[in-house]
Amino acid sequence: MSTQALLVTPAAPIESMLQRFGPPIVILAVVLAVWEFLVWLFDVPPWLLPAPSQVAVRFTRTPTLWYHTGLTILEAFSGFAVSALLGVSLSALIVHSRFMERGVFPYIVVSNSIPIIAVVPLLTIWFGFGLAPKVMIASIITFFPIVTNTTRGLKAADPRILDFMHSINATRSEIFFKVQLPAALPFIFAGFKIAASLSLVGAVVGEFYGSDRGLGYLVITSATQLRTDLLFVSIIVLAALGVGLFTLFGKLERLVIRGEVDTERPT
Amino acid sequence: MRGVGVVYPSAQGPVNALTGVDLAVADGEFVALLGPTGCGKSTLLRLVSDLLRPTSGQIEVRGQPAAAARRANEFGFVFQEPALLPWRSALENVRLPLEVVDYPASDRQARCESLLEMVGLTRFRGHYPHELSGGMKQRVAIVRALAWNPSILLMDEPFSALDELTKAQLQDDLLDLWASEKKTVLFVTHNISEAVYLADRVVVMSAHPGRIARTVTIDLPRPRTADLRETLPFLALVREAREALRGEPATLTTLTTPTTPTTRAS
Repeated sequence: MSTQALLVTPAAPIESMLQRFGPPIVILAVVLAVWEFLVWLFDVPPWLLPAPSQVAVRFTRTPTLWYHTGLTILEAFSGFAVSALLGVSLSALIVHSRFMERGVFPYIVVSNSIPIIAVVPLLTIWFGFGLAPKVMIASIITFFPIVTNTTRGLKAADPRILDFMHSINATRSEIFFKVQLPAALPFIFAGFKIAASLSLVGAVVGEFYGSDRGLGYLVITSATQLRTDLLFVSIIVLAALGVGLFTLFGKLERLVIRGEVDTERPT
Repeated sequence: MRGVGVVYPSAQGPVNALTGVDLAVADGEFVALLGPTGCGKSTLLRLVSDLLRPTSGQIEVRGQPAAAARRANEFGFVFQEPALLPWRSALENVRLPLEVVDYPASDRQARCESLLEMVGLTRFRGHYPHELSGGMKQRVAIVRALAWNPSILLMDEPFSALDELTKAQLQDDLLDLWASEKKTVLFVTHNISEAVYLADRVVVMSAHPGRIARTVTIDLPRPRTADLRETLPFLALVREAREALRGEPATLTTLTTPTTPTTRAS
């Protein structure tokens, strides 16, 4: 990894960008061209498989797309935020109390094994067709990776440093904020990255059932109406959102975490 | 500081980690605890610093129970590994205990800088642990344990993970620090010549159950320098300590190579 980095660094920025992004772009272009060509060659009907050009046209001619996208982002983000807040706090409790660890952890595991799809109708009965059930699904689905990763991280602190802190009579909160929480940050971010993509899944799944807006609604309606080009557009936007969130958290992680961790991580 | 009669049967079955240990250490004394792995010498440090409670016997530190001494921040702990926080620079690592004990915030920076200067790390104060060598990291760990001026320094095999040259250098550095800072030092090691070179008194311990086998007083002149290691009195004391270690019949086989008694699991 380090020799590779050495080879890349002396090159000009544009050159290194080309080296990095050139190959995947070439491959994408080839795949799209072959796809376009085959659709044209066999005259595939657009409801079965639209050509990339048709998808691109649909993308530019769907003005409501951004409204739906924004709504899905809002739901996913709210669910994620609730989950992150509750999850990290719960982890702190779990680490500080044997009782909480033994009493709560089994239920967290059980909650993860309930298929979320089955819960959606129930939440709709309780909370109607608005934003609330979608936000809840997004937060339920992201809760497990956040809690498990954060808990593992909070326990990952060097036991000798904990001994040292005890030997100078440090308080629990000093130990938590100066040692355990910073030590847990890489784990927390790992959980956040998983949770970020899951929060989108949660929001979309929520929109599948009883909704008249959002990307999930767009997916369901375009599928039932055989507007396959619009279905492709929705899927591509969702994929782009997932990649974007993952990258965002990677960047955030590098900003927040100092010292060894970020230099070890290959870019 | 007086540690009086400590018996410690551990939790996993009735294992006697330490039995009937009587030890009195004078203020400002440098005492090495020497023994094979599993003799409970590290346990002794944890007992003194109240990280572990004895199951019998009492420990008194400067006229008060160990717990009170811990609350009074009397102990500076140094481990075998530096155990620095990877997200803090060298200086910030030294500052960590000052943020915890009652140390005036305005003096912290200056104190950390002078400590790093004492061990020749001024240039590296902004470096993160992964950018420092093993010896540098251990130096940071040592001054971190001295930062708030605790009266007692507890060192648990602090140099055993270092190469020979760095080890010798750090031993001399430690003696310098000890001479200028006037600390009581409890130094755990399994290296015989290290114990003899550093200490006023070598407490030889034996295992199963952990106990004090013998005490060897080191009346070598100070300040001590590397030349001392080749002198006859030094070698005689090393031999005496080695014989004290061997004096335990149960471990005769493992102690045929007494400088590396780590072969036995505890």
